[in-house]
Amino acid sequence: MIELIGCTVRYGGITALDNVSIKIPDGKIVSIVGANGAGKTTTINVISGMVKLAKGSILMDGESLTLPPHRIVKKGIVQIPEGRKIFPTITVAENLILGAFIIKDRERIKANMERVFKLFPILKERMNQPGGTLSGGEQQMLAIARGLMSDPKILLLDEPSLGLAPNLVLEIFDMIKQLNREGLTILLVEQNAQKALNISDYAYVLETGRIVSHGEGSKIAGDPVVKKAYLGIKEV
Amino acid sequence: MHIIFQQLLNGLSLGGVYALEAVGFGLIFNVLKFSNFSHSAIVAISAYFGFFISRYLFPNFAVTLLMTAIFGGLIGVVIEKLIFRPIRLKNAPLTLFLVNSITAAMLVQQVFAATLGSDYYTYPEFMKETAWRLGAFTVSKTYVIMLTISALVLLFLSYIIRKTKIGIAIRAASSDIRTPSLMGVNVDFIVSVAFFLAGILGGITGYLLGMTYSVDPFIGSMILKGIIAAIIGGIGSLGGGVIAGLLLGATESLLISQIGASLTPIVVYSSIIILLLIRPEGISGKRFIVKA
Ligand SMILES: Nc1ncnc2c1ncn2[C@@H]1O[C@H](COP(=O)(O)OP(=O)(O)OP(=O)(O)O)[C@@H](O)[C@H]1O
Ligand SMILES: [Mg+2]
Repeated sequence: MIELIGCTVRYGGITALDNVSIKIPDGKIVSIVGANGAGKTTTINVISGMVKLAKGSILMDGESLTLPPHRIVKKGIVQIPEGRKIFPTITVAENLILGAFIIKDRERIKANMERVFKLFPILKERMNQPGGTLSGGEQQMLAIARGLMSDPKILLLDEPSLGLAPNLVLEIFDMIKQLNREGLTILLVEQNAQKALNISDYAYVLETGRIVSHGEGSKIAGDPVVKKAYLGIKEV
Repeated sequence: MHIIFQQLLNGLSLGGVYALEAVGFGLIFNVLKFSNFSHSAIVAISAYFGFFISRYLFPNFAVTLLMTAIFGGLIGVVIEKLIFRPIRLKNAPLTLFLVNSITAAMLVQQVFAATLGSDYYTYPEFMKETAWRLGAFTVSKTYVIMLTISALVLLFLSYIIRKTKIGIAIRAASSDIRTPSLMGVNVDFIVSVAFFLAGILGGITGYLLGMTYSVDPFIGSMILKGIIAAIIGGIGSLGGGVIAGLLLGATESLLISQIGASLTPIVVYSSIIILLLIRPEGISGKRFIVKA
C-alpha cells in the first residue's frame, strides 16, 4: 500500500498540493479527479519522486518512500506520464527495452516484450520505426506498454485516454480493469472522470491542491455536488 | 599518383582523429545541448599524460594508449562532476554550460603554459620501421595505425550507443533528459557515462595528436577541426560527424599537396562557410535544434 500523509508541494510561490492525504491499497484502482491545474499530475509526480515534498511523507508498506525517481521504479512503482513522453528518435522496440531498463535478464525482457505485443499487436508491426512516427493513439499504447515492461506492482496512470478516439478510450479502460484483475494496483488520473470513477474502487476529488471529497468510486460518481462542480465541466 | 595516394592516406588518418573529436564533442552536445569546449582540456591533459607514461613508465604503445583512453574518460567524468553537474541540478541556462566549458578549456591551457610551457614534449619512437612497402607504395605505419585505431574506437562506440541498454538510454536522453528516470534510469549516471565515453575519445585524440606532432599547451585547440566536422556533419548526427571528419582531413591533405600549406586553410575555411550557407543542417541533413 502507498500512503500519502499530509503532503504539500510548492513550485516557487505556488502551492500545488496542500496537505493531501491519499491511500492506495494493494490490488485496488484508486482515481483522482479534478479540474485542470488541480494538482493531479503533481500528486503522481510526487509519488514518482519527480517533485519534492515541502511537507508530509509518502510511505510504501509503512516505510518511507523518499527516493530519487529511478529508485522508485525499482520499488515496482511505475508512472505512465501525461502526454505519453515517447522517445521520438529511438525505435518502438528500443522504447520498450528502455521500459525494462531495471531488468538485467535478457530472456525476461524478451518475454515481457512478447507479452505487451499480445496486448498491443500494432506495436509489433511498428517495432522498428522511430517512436515519433507513431500516431497519437499508438504512442499512448506504447507508453502503457513501456510502463508494463518492468513488471510493475503499482501503475500510476496520468490521463491515459487523453486525445484518443472513443472506441480506443473504451479499450484502454478495459485494459486497465484487466491489468488490475491480474493483480496490478492502479492510481488513475483521468479527464474522463465519469469513466474513471466507474472502474475505481475509491476516488479522491482534488480542487486547487486540496482534497475536497473522497469515497468509493460509485459514490463520488453519483454525488450531485461533486458532479456539478467537478465532473460536469469535463463530461464530453 | 603515388604521392596523391600517400597524401590521401595521411589525410584520412588525420581525418580519423577529426572524427574522434567530432564524436566526442557531438555526444555531449546530443545529451546536454551545449557546445563542450572543455573537450579540448581532456585532449590536452591526456596528451601530456600519454607523453609522461610512455616516456617514463612503459614505452609500450598499446598499453599507454589504453591507459590514456581510460584516463581521458575519467577526466571527462571529473570535469562533468566539478563544473557541469552542479549547474545542471540547478537548471542553469545553457549559456552557463558553454561559459563553464570555455573557462575550463582556457584554465587548463594556461596551467600547462605556466608549468610545462617552455618545452615541447616528443613521444618516444614506438616503431623501429616507420614505413611499410606495398609493392610500389610506401605507406607510413603511424598513419595506418592511427586510422585503424580511430576506426576501431568509433566502431566500439557505435556498438555501445546502438546496441546496449546504456546506449539506448543515452539516445533517449538526447531527446528528453527527464523522462528516462521514469523507466528506472539514473540520469546522473547516464550523463557520467556520456562524459566517460566522450573522455575516452578525447584521451585517444590527445594521445594520437601528441604522438604525431609533439605536446604543447595549445594542443587542445586542435579540436576546433573536430568541432567544425561535427557541424558540417550535421550536429546531432554522430555518423555525419565521422564522415565530415574524414572528408575534412582528406581534403586538407590533398589541397596541401596541390596548392600548399598556406593557401589550404583559406580555401578550406571559406568552403566550409559557403557549404553551411547553402546547407545549414550539415551533410547528414538532420534538423538541428538551436542551443548554446
Ligand atoms: N514545474 C512547475 N512550475 C510551476 N508551477 C507548476 C509546475 N508544474 C505544475 N505547476 C502548477 O501547479 C498546479 C498543479 O499542476 P498539475 O500539473 O499538478 O495539475 P493537473 O491537475 O495535473 O492539471 P491538468 O488536468 O491540466 O493536467 C498548476 O497550477 C500548475 O500551473
Ligand atoms: Mg495533469
